[in-house]
Amino acid sequence: MLRDKRLFLVVAVLVTVAMVVSACGPKGPKLAQEINLNLGTEPPTLDPALATDTTSVEVDESLFLGLTDFDDETMEVIPELATEWKVSDDGLVWTFTMRKDAVWVHYDPATKKFTKKRPVTAHDVEYGVKRTLNPETASEYAYVLYIIKNAEAYNTGEITDPAEVGVKALDDWTVQFTLEQPAGYFGGIAGMWVARPMPKEPIEQFGEKWTEPGNIWSNGPFALDTWEHENRLVLVKNPHWYNAKNVSLQRINYVMVVEASTAFAMYENGELDVCGVPTTEIDRVKADPVLSKEYYEGPYLCTYYLGFDTTEPPVDNKLVRQALSYAVDRQKLVDTVLKGGQKPAKTFACPGIFGTPAEDPNFVGISYDPEKAKQLLADAGYPNGEGFPEMTYLFNTSQGHQRIAEFIQQGWKEVLGIDVVLANQEWKVYLQTIQTDPPAVWRMGWCADYPDENNWVLENFHSTKGSNRIKWSNPEFDRACEEAAATSDPAKRKELYAKAEKILCVDEAAIIPIYYYTRVVCNKPYVQRTYAALGNEHYDKWKVLAH
Amino acid sequence: MTVQERAALRLQERPRREASLWRDAWRRLVRNRAAVLGLVVVALLIAVAITAPYIAPAHYAAGDAADEHTVPSWLAAVLPGNVAAYAKINNKFLLGSDFLGRDLLSRIIYGTRVSLPVGFMGAFTALIIGLVYGCISGYYGGRVDDIMMRIVDILYAFPTMLLIILLMAFFKTSFGGTPVPGTPAYTFNQINKAVDSILGLRGGGMLFIFMGIGLTAWMGMARLARGQILSVKEKEFIEASRMIGASDMRIILRHIFPNIIGPCVVAETLAIPGYINYEVFLSFIGLGVDPPTPSWGNLISEGAQALRSYPHLVIFPALALSITMFAFNFLGDGLRDALDPRMRGTS
Amino acid sequence: MTQYIIRRLLWLIPVLFFISVVTFALLRAVPGGPFDREKPMPPEVRANLEHYYGLDKPLPQQYLSWVARIVLHFDFGPSYSSRSRTVNDIFAAHLPVSAQLGVLAILLALLIGLPLGILAALKQNTIWDYLGMGIAVFGVSVPNIVLAPLLILIFALTLGWLPVAGWGTPEKMILPVVALGMRESAIIARLTRASMLQVIREDYIRTARAKGLAERVVMVRHALKNAFIPVATVLGPMFAALTTGTFVVERIFAIPGLGKYFVTSITNRDYPVVMGTILLYAVFLVLANLAVDITYAFLDPRIRYK
Repeated sequence: MLRDKRLFLVVAVLVTVAMVVSACGPKGPKLAQEINLNLGTEPPTLDPALATDTTSVEVDESLFLGLTDFDDETMEVIPELATEWKVSDDGLVWTFTMRKDAVWVHYDPATKKFTKKRPVTAHDVEYGVKRTLNPETASEYAYVLYIIKNAEAYNTGEITDPAEVGVKALDDWTVQFTLEQPAGYFGGIAGMWVARPMPKEPIEQFGEKWTEPGNIWSNGPFALDTWEHENRLVLVKNPHWYNAKNVSLQRINYVMVVEASTAFAMYENGELDVCGVPTTEIDRVKADPVLSKEYYEGPYLCTYYLGFDTTEPPVDNKLVRQALSYAVDRQKLVDTVLKGGQKPAKTFACPGIFGTPAEDPNFVGISYDPEKAKQLLADAGYPNGEGFPEMTYLFNTSQGHQRIAEFIQQGWKEVLGIDVVLANQEWKVYLQTIQTDPPAVWRMGWCADYPDENNWVLENFHSTKGSNRIKWSNPEFDRACEEAAATSDPAKRKELYAKAEKILCVDEAAIIPIYYYTRVVCNKPYVQRTYAALGNEHYDKWKVLAH
Repeated sequence: MTVQERAALRLQERPRREASLWRDAWRRLVRNRAAVLGLVVVALLIAVAITAPYIAPAHYAAGDAADEHTVPSWLAAVLPGNVAAYAKINNKFLLGSDFLGRDLLSRIIYGTRVSLPVGFMGAFTALIIGLVYGCISGYYGGRVDDIMMRIVDILYAFPTMLLIILLMAFFKTSFGGTPVPGTPAYTFNQINKAVDSILGLRGGGMLFIFMGIGLTAWMGMARLARGQILSVKEKEFIEASRMIGASDMRIILRHIFPNIIGPCVVAETLAIPGYINYEVFLSFIGLGVDPPTPSWGNLISEGAQALRSYPHLVIFPALALSITMFAFNFLGDGLRDALDPRMRGTS
Repeated sequence: MTQYIIRRLLWLIPVLFFISVVTFALLRAVPGGPFDREKPMPPEVRANLEHYYGLDKPLPQQYLSWVARIVLHFDFGPSYSSRSRTVNDIFAAHLPVSAQLGVLAILLALLIGLPLGILAALKQNTIWDYLGMGIAVFGVSVPNIVLAPLLILIFALTLGWLPVAGWGTPEKMILPVVALGMRESAIIARLTRASMLQVIREDYIRTARAKGLAERVVMVRHALKNAFIPVATVLGPMFAALTTGTFVVERIFAIPGLGKYFVTSITNRDYPVVMGTILLYAVFLVLANLAVDITYAFLDPRIRYK
């Protein structure tokens, strides 16, 4: 308590002084220098070529620039390192022109000194892409770049000459990509972390340790100061970034707190400035006079869905699948179990993804209808659930998934009169199970890598080109996905994707979309922030007022 | 009298002495008030577990999500903070309800069907495997003893938790799901289902928890039993029965067992709270019983996350657990004092 | 004595060999691999990864090369889930934290447990005895999972005396040490009481009293020293378990210790980390037990090692 009082006194004096000083200076709010955030877990890597998870990507977004970026609000592809790009008439050749004022910097945490190394050039882009594709790099996300000509062949060892890969620096500031087939969404791919320019020098000097503080070169708005593994990570403002004069934050202090309830307690205790709200705390937060003002719910580009093994009775019957889908009261699930303002889902791809009919009023999806569900189940030969065989609903071990499973199990019992066995497996086993030998029903979530339907319907459910865990094959659906991927006309693409979604989620009910995710956070009142729907926050735009 | 005659006489005396020994022990036990209290609580818990369907107000999986997180009025009155501002307060459930509107009391009651068997099965497997192993090792001594105890030493150097996690992952994944009939996995699966249905639970996956805990619990017992045997082995009545030509089996079963079973039972009674705690830990890391089956472990580990908003979800299961722990500890201490007054105080 | 110590140390070799073989076999028998991902990767990419880590070689060869690297270079291998770090890095960064936490917790446990146990024994069957043992049983019966958030709620959020979580400064250490030490102090208190009760009935205590020694001298010089022997026995495994990390307390208080690796390395199928942690624990346990046995010799002159 004493400490707090003393602190309060110091703050009070500082604030007074600050007010006097600022009264003389130019008008505008006084800004604080730092922000305290929770990263959640240890980032498995800071090497963009190796990153596969949101934690690593979150940090990389502040350290490394891409050719393109996504607008926080419209989710359109916008320029970053590239100032402009041209697409050839056949849609196969993409040429990016780069800005000349981006530089690689080295930051020495011991002396707190920045060193400008050299400009970021088209050669770094070529090097970065080829490094990701090099089999020796063993990048898990390399396949995202398979749309580039010969990328797959090089990555899988079919060809060994990297020169044959369709990426080339024409000069220092121009880089050209040649694709396997036309792809309207390539603008987004070109900005993804696996395609970012990489600094050859530290990578060759330090090997796997090049991302440690003191070794790393970066080019983004922030640089790496401290990385105490499993504990904390500190970023500092990069004064040599081309837009540095508009960056307000001097320091980002990340802690790595896994336990959500601990993190939220830290927020309430003033140890964090922004924090996700655990489900069990949402009601209390909304009712609290202070916390309710700091509460925010916003869209997040992910969908929660249930998959089937469409070859296994009884769910090989589409009537059964439809019945199960109609019997899920998604709104009640959101209101009672999830509480975070999630939206009941009718489609696989969530709103905000290009091509999704999620918000199209003409798209009639499946929503809760107990009568229809009963009717469909009776039509399938199981009136009131009689004679319905034993069926397993599998989820990966987690309290959140368990709650949803229990809710849905309860609902199916109530509406359809069927008993479903719930089982859980830990994550790695779970992934293997649903890939090789899926049970009748299982859960999964999908988040956008880039905001385009191609990343959703084709990459997941195409019978040969997707992961197709539901063991499903529908020629009409496949054709719609393929045509849409190769078409550049937006209207035509939208139409095709609406058709694909309808087959997937309604006509065949090959999956049960449950809800579209939201992000539920509390921000201290002094944090002025932006929200990136894809999750890669732009901290260069954040401001923290003196507090 | 020859030596043999004297030995025979002694052997005839044994059963009588034994019976009076147990009777004395019982008399001493009931004089110990804490131990009696412990015994009564344990008996009550067993009764609750057996009669769960009759005494629980509702089925453990029944509920309506519309009633989620109800806090009982009597509790809301004494809780700090403003629970009334965000939670439903009413008297529909005596101890409140969980996130799906399921009666917490009923879930705690049904939870005894997981937590008690875990405790007893842990103790039971430890006794069976540990006693047999320890007896063989201690009785035969020499090389056999050396090798067998070295094996225990090695297994002992495994971090128990890590071994349990590995075994659980192995059991759950190799034998869970829907395997093909005829394979060992299928057999295990059927046994698992049988265990669940004996306990009146649907899809609990209890067998794997029993196995995980039992497989690591016996080592301590093996050491204890061996130590006890070494101290009993050289006593004259053993010597005597060997002289009159009793088989090893007979000596172990008739003469050694009765003399060492006391301390072993005491040790396992005191170990039961530990096994129950293992289940809590397993639930915390997600390797507990499958939902919607309740166990005190999953009630507590889920409730602990909601400590700030809905304290009733952790208070009552934790209370049930604590009472059980107290009971087993009192009972174990009492048993120890009763079985051997001289032993009072050793562990 | 020296010979005895050497023999015990040599015993480590078969222990480590056996443990590592069993763990290795169990790990590979469990389904799921380190590279199973939410977004499944093409088999070729997977092959790249497996080749990178040598997982495409036959199992015995993998095991042998793992052993060889440890013996020749003291290198425990890479971590699959943290690409820029090796198992050696992980130990170097997190073992000191866990050790610090564990040692502090054991000190706290001794500080509370010993006096409580002695008091209860000396005043057997009085209110002190019941109270002390009541507290002790309570300490064992409240799981860490409940105790830790409760401590946070009371001392950080309500009273505002201490920070919620983290590690590094003394005030951040208090709550986790208490959460961890409570249970151990309860165990020590019960054990101390029991062994005290036994010791004070022994002949040599009676003799000492009969010699007319002051009660304090009898207690401290003779009773306490001998009563400590069973306590020392549990201190060995306790030390090994606590200093190599405790999952629950470290997780709830967000402490960068080694405890999480005992669980997450298995769920991540991070083979080298699992193998490393399991060896580390075994070494700690054997060494701690050896230290305990050596302590015996000092505490009890009747014990001699050959």
